[in-house]
Amino acid sequence: MQQAIEAISDPRRREILRLVRASELPAGAIAAHFADVTRPAVSQHLRTLREAGLVVERREGTRRLYRARPAGLADLRAYLDELWDERLEALREAAEVEERSRNARARDN
Amino acid sequence: MPEHVTTEQDLVKEIRIEARPETVFPFFTEPEKLTRWLCVEATVDPRAGGICKQIHRDHDGTLYHLSGQFLEVTPPHRVVFTWGWEKPETGTPPGSTVVDVTLEPDGEGTLVTLVHRGLPDTERDGYDGGWQGLLEKLAELAPRS
Repeated sequence: MQQAIEAISDPRRREILRLVRASELPAGAIAAHFADVTRPAVSQHLRTLREAGLVVERREGTRRLYRARPAGLADLRAYLDELWDERLEALREAAEVEERSRNARARDN
Repeated sequence: MPEHVTTEQDLVKEIRIEARPETVFPFFTEPEKLTRWLCVEATVDPRAGGICKQIHRDHDGTLYHLSGQFLEVTPPHRVVFTWGWEKPETGTPPGSTVVDVTLEPDGEGTLVTLVHRGLPDTERDGYDGGWQGLLEKLAELAPRS
């Protein structure tokens, strides 16, 4: 799931997600949208998005077509929801241990 | 610019801790304490604009590098930092979502409210609305390059 967070941390990949959100597009059309990015770089971005589950690739003859997979972001939200529950519980335990040892030190002094 | 519609819903978590805010706060700003609950390694400069780097370990042992920045540090009440993972080998820009933590005294303890901003609201608006909302939010939060 961290893959999805990493994937959307790049501005170009967010732009690609916007492009393929409403319609399925061939890789060539996506690459043509970026004047300042090489075709291999766009392919790499698409691969990163696909591996993160944020876009779906479909082959049609020799063409590769891409569209967004919004459920990928729903997964991301569910993941973070669970992560924070776990981590905050760990925070509670650690902070309460710290508080008890602070109080014990205060009593000893 | 596409039309901006705020449809994302922030992730909100609350937990009550039997410890004073003064005890809880350093767990967000000191590496030695961050590694007791959040991550396995932390490099921080806890002031507005200072770095907030963390290395997290997933359940399967995989390490993930998180790179962010503190936006606000007001001990012992509030700490806000950006949250985004980066692969060190690809050097993708940090900062994609924001974690906003508020500590309120509650008797002998502290009520911690953690708000993770910039995530899609898939339940209220369906995938599409949350999707667009997230992308808009991310675009705002992303570092200008």
